[in-house]
Amino acid sequence: MLNDLRYRLRALFRRGAVEAEMHEELRFHFEKEVEKLERRGIAPVEARRRARIAFGGSSQVAEDCREARGTSLVENTVQDLRYALRQLRANPGFATVMILTLGLAIGANSAIFSVVEGVLLRPLPYPQANRIMRVFVSTPTYPRFPLNPWDFHDLRDRNRSFTGMAAFTRSDMQLSGGTGRPEMLNGFEITAGFFNVLGLHPEMGHEFDRSNEVPNSAREVILSDHLWRTQFAADPSIVGRKITLNAMPFTVVGVMPAGTEHPGNEYHPVAYGQHVDVWTPFWFEGKPSERGSHYIEVFGRLKDGVTVAQASADLNAIVQEVGREMGQNPGWRALVVPLQQEIVGASRPMLLMLLGAVLMVLLIACANAANLLLARAATRRREMAVRLALGAQRGRLVRQLLTESLLIAVTGGALGLALAAGGVQAIVALLPSDFPRAGDIHVNAWVFLFTLVVATGAGIVFGTVPALQASRTDPRQGLHEGGRTLTSGRHQARLRSALVVTEVTLACALLIGAGLMLRSLLKQMQLNPGFREDHVLTAKLSLPNADYKNGEPVVQFYQQLLGDLRALPGVEAAGAGSDLPWTGWDENRSFDVQGKQPKPGTFFHARYHVATPDYFRALGTPLLAGRFFTVADNHGAPAVILINEAMAKTVWGNENAVGKRITFDDHPKESDWLTVVGVVGNVKDKPSSPEAEPGFWWPQAQAAYHDMAVVVRFNGDPGAMIAALEREVRRLNPGLAVANVRQMDQIVAASVATPRMEFILVGLFGGLAIVLAGIGIYGVVAYAVSQRTAEFGVRMALGAQRWDVLRLVLAQVAGVVLGGTALGLLLAVALGQTLKSLIYGVSPADPVTLASAAGLVVAAALAACVAPARRATGVDPMVALRSE
Amino acid sequence: MAHLDLPQGTLDLLILRSLQTGPQHGWAISERVQQVSDDVLRIQQGSLYPALHRLERRGWIKAQWGVSDNNRRAKYYELTRSGRRQLEAETESWRKLTAAVAQVLERV
Repeated sequence: MLNDLRYRLRALFRRGAVEAEMHEELRFHFEKEVEKLERRGIAPVEARRRARIAFGGSSQVAEDCREARGTSLVENTVQDLRYALRQLRANPGFATVMILTLGLAIGANSAIFSVVEGVLLRPLPYPQANRIMRVFVSTPTYPRFPLNPWDFHDLRDRNRSFTGMAAFTRSDMQLSGGTGRPEMLNGFEITAGFFNVLGLHPEMGHEFDRSNEVPNSAREVILSDHLWRTQFAADPSIVGRKITLNAMPFTVVGVMPAGTEHPGNEYHPVAYGQHVDVWTPFWFEGKPSERGSHYIEVFGRLKDGVTVAQASADLNAIVQEVGREMGQNPGWRALVVPLQQEIVGASRPMLLMLLGAVLMVLLIACANAANLLLARAATRRREMAVRLALGAQRGRLVRQLLTESLLIAVTGGALGLALAAGGVQAIVALLPSDFPRAGDIHVNAWVFLFTLVVATGAGIVFGTVPALQASRTDPRQGLHEGGRTLTSGRHQARLRSALVVTEVTLACALLIGAGLMLRSLLKQMQLNPGFREDHVLTAKLSLPNADYKNGEPVVQFYQQLLGDLRALPGVEAAGAGSDLPWTGWDENRSFDVQGKQPKPGTFFHARYHVATPDYFRALGTPLLAGRFFTVADNHGAPAVILINEAMAKTVWGNENAVGKRITFDDHPKESDWLTVVGVVGNVKDKPSSPEAEPGFWWPQAQAAYHDMAVVVRFNGDPGAMIAALEREVRRLNPGLAVANVRQMDQIVAASVATPRMEFILVGLFGGLAIVLAGIGIYGVVAYAVSQRTAEFGVRMALGAQRWDVLRLVLAQVAGVVLGGTALGLLLAVALGQTLKSLIYGVSPADPVTLASAAGLVVAAALAACVAPARRATGVDPMVALRSE
Repeated sequence: MAHLDLPQGTLDLLILRSLQTGPQHGWAISERVQQVSDDVLRIQQGSLYPALHRLERRGWIKAQWGVSDNNRRAKYYELTRSGRRQLEAETESWRKLTAAVAQVLERV
């Protein structure tokens, strides 16, 4: 066995020496034979002649010896590769087209696969991540709702399905007291054992335990590795050190390792490229009997052997039990969802659609490659015939041709991988900032493996049929001078037509997809957002409780700041609100309406916000009835609210809502009623929402929110405005961080990031597809024209006009193009049903889009026919007749 | 003189046997077999050398370049230990085979 291997290796790597030895050995034998004959008395010349006859074909012997050496597989493959390389170099145009088209198609596939792999396939970076579940409560109106802290507390203590449960809520902190400017940090409040449930451990220090959950217990914080390195210079004694957050001292008790991801926070997500910097303990404040407000996100790790259904039932039972104890029946059910599904579920349809689209492009590229190979096979018929006539085995020929295809495919794959590396970066840049797991998308070993498999598969797919076809060449006919065989030619022509029909079908379907994406994007971009986009600057401010202990200083601060801003040159209006449009604000609550009863089983509910008097003016949201807030609507004055048009319609229908009253109390006193003073225009949650949600605003002077978004409508240079804003804030309180400084048009652009990306990608694929299909059509038409050149010459000699010949050329391709387009339309309509969720505002069978795509396909086909048609009509009848 | 076609296994056996007496080069092997069999068995170069290379690959013979009687370079083959074992085994099975065939031809 070892000997065998050693022998074969020597035969492989020292081939030259082994070949030389073999020849020498055979020559020695020959000489001895000659000697023997000479000794018998035969003349030397005669002896050599007889010896040579007796020896037989020396090359045959050499060939048999080579076979016996057992290295023929490798040697043949090497030989095939060398031959394939020579062929490619001899036909650089053909090789370039093939490798380029395959490279683009495979590259696109690898790029999309990178995204799919990083987002959908790769397990989350937690040990046994498939056992981590997200827990929600749900009702028909709110299918995935966060929990009330005390409900979570009960679930955590009473459940039997989880080894641990934890909860978190977004809580950004201002870091101050350092050398730089105060900075707003992304942070979360977390319950005891949060990281342990995920399976993570601090790299320094320890995490929080139940003692941290007691309100007003020690202020402790866990830092991220990134923060530790950037703000604290990787101080090795950071644990135990005090840092200032929100103007209060916090003791650092731990540092999390680099790359600690947060387990999905779809509400207030941390954007890609940003980090979670601080974790602080969650305090269970308030009375355990007050279960009204729901705001914490919960997850847990299932015990071994417990299924999702069992955990759901377990938690549900507890929820019902708690409801009975509290004397309420809120109607909530517990919902348990695997974490991975929760994080990536929403993006799965889109990613799968992209994968499907890009696979279509690959199919088209393969069909094209097969077509090109078939066309080339026609020109190589003579070569095949000669080789077959000389005794080559069919199998060997097929193998050699397949090697050529594989060489082209693998080279294309290498090019594709290089393209994908750049492509992935481009795609990640296009992704919306809250796209899940965007940081996990890389070109890695899996992508490399995928590319290899796809390239090899493609090579086999498009190489097999042409190879089999070529090896079936009849040597007699191939060697014949005319070289044109009708039967095999027709068979081949039909095959090529079928391939081109497939290409056209797929390209047409992709173009329709791109068209739908475009219309969807345009619809979303053209929406009247309900506010002004240009020259509106925003920033987030957060007043720490330690410095602003109650409502007065908070209200005063914002009044002062906005007054200062209004005095600046270039500022047209300045206001502040609890949130900005299209940033995911979702606070809502229920209320009672004076003089109205809700439908049985439901209650009135709406979003709530807070705003200063000029907030709407700064944003450009119109006033539809009544008035905006004024300075008179302050603390101590009667409670007022502004409502939007959606709420006015939902609650009061066609009545004038101004002057109507609502309350949150079951038995309201006079001071518990809030009066509607005005109605403002609608703003949707996001561009693709079907309609605006009802909502109302409290005056900041009465609500005194600490965290507000400042909105400034200005004219002039944005940079100067930003600097002015920061200056004014610093003047009032240098310890405040001015965060998220953006203009509204940036927010608007970000909100359409998803449909824009979809359109760009599907548009690219569609463009690539139609170009490839065009090449395919060109090939078919050119071939047909070349076959019929003589016929055209005869027709023209007999009096046909150029137009008649042109008509014949076009008729050649009409069947293919029209058939392909029709099939493409059908395919797109069929697929459109499944992809309805991905497009907005336009039907999947939108006639304008379908017609435009079909038109584009026909136009491309016509363009592909120009050159062959010109050649056909330019035929000189005399030349054509003579060549016959 | 009628030439018989040698099956492949038999060729291996003959080569191994002729090497039992000592190292020889390919031509000598074919001459020897021809002589000893009274010219009945003639091994063609086309079968001999592939067979020799095959046997060398299997490790039953090993090759070495030496100088022949007329001062020319020639490749000499000799049996290895496993080759000797193989020879014994094949000789034994050949004897059994031929004895059985002879029996059948006689009795049936």
